[in-house]
Amino acid sequence: MELVIYNGSPRAKKSNSKLLMDQFLQGFNPENPEATTVHYLANRKNREVYKTDYQRADTIILIFPLYCDSMPGIVKEFFEDIYNLPATGSKKIGFIVQSGFPEAIHSTYIEAYLQKLAKRLKCDYLGTIIKGGVEGIQMMPPAMTRKLFANFNLLGQVFAKEGRFDAQIQAKLRMPLKFSPLRLMVNRMLNFTGIGNFYWNINLKKNKAYQQRFDKPFGD
Amino acid sequence: MKITILNGNMNPQPDVFSNYIENLVAYFDANHNINLFNLNQMDLRYCTGCWNCWWKTPGLCIHQDDGATIFSAVINADVVLFASPIMAGFTTSALKKITDRLIVLLHPYFDIINGETHHKKRYNHYPRFGVLLEKEKDTDAEDLKIISDLYERFAFNFHSEISFVKFIETSTIEEVANGTCNL
Repeated sequence: MELVIYNGSPRAKKSNSKLLMDQFLQGFNPENPEATTVHYLANRKNREVYKTDYQRADTIILIFPLYCDSMPGIVKEFFEDIYNLPATGSKKIGFIVQSGFPEAIHSTYIEAYLQKLAKRLKCDYLGTIIKGGVEGIQMMPPAMTRKLFANFNLLGQVFAKEGRFDAQIQAKLRMPLKFSPLRLMVNRMLNFTGIGNFYWNINLKKNKAYQQRFDKPFGD
Repeated sequence: MKITILNGNMNPQPDVFSNYIENLVAYFDANHNINLFNLNQMDLRYCTGCWNCWWKTPGLCIHQDDGATIFSAVINADVVLFASPIMAGFTTSALKKITDRLIVLLHPYFDIINGETHHKKRYNHYPRFGVLLEKEKDTDAEDLKIISDLYERFAFNFHSEISFVKFIETSTIEEVANGTCNL
């Protein structure tokens, strides 16, 4: 399998997408996880290399964070680049969409676009992995990310053996799609008391910007 | 009425789409305040996901480019028209580039709306949206649904609503102008 991975996070090597793909690659090739080509689309000066490697590869995985309910601008630029390339033999493409929203529902709307894009590119569509609640994983203690990382490792293991995303892990990662009424009530309480804003507040305070958090610099 | 048009056409040469936008702007009468931004002629950088706009300089983007002019024109508009030829099944990267950066106009804190987690408002008033598209050679009804769904979700997160999604091929300038003013 000639696999090329594209990381579409604007944060590039500092991204949560990289943390997830590192786990995937540990599972995909435990002896040499760094052997697989990984391109960071945020480094836009290498766009020609990205196109060349896209044509060379027979299998592509693109991971990106959800930005304003769809792909980040740099990912859209990449789609425009490869859309104009001549089709080169049989190719498979799969996607991983992660977001900071705690429920997966937000990322499900881009799925139809990605499936149609695969068809446009004349690629076999391998599906889309969707995972919510990813923002903040860089700050979390290992106990809080163990399951998530184990699932991405396993996803990589199955991909190495079978060249596809495992349906069970795919379904597991997509949970929760939406919150139950009870959990929504708890979340409302957490938001109301400010506990739910802990991640934002700790960073606002660290940057001495907490008092300015409700600023409206462009009007009312 | 304050109308902000974000023109995502990436073609540097005059073409059917840019002519349509020019004629649309000319059609609006003097009672309207029109802000047209031809994005491909502006100094605009991609969002880097740094979140300075949420936790370092709340409400302000780190980039020192033409972004701030657009943020002000968007949040103070009654209507924002997202205008773009379709490329690879969606609006252009030029339009998506500035759309990503509109998070500067939202607050990082979460709210529960319609049983889902969404970001709180930063401002009291948010404009309504219209979407104006030009078809590419293989655009079909499925593409229209995909684009409409994605813009509806974006509008939902932006405390806004989509009032119309129209194609320049099937909507006259008069229809688009009237649609925009009658939102």
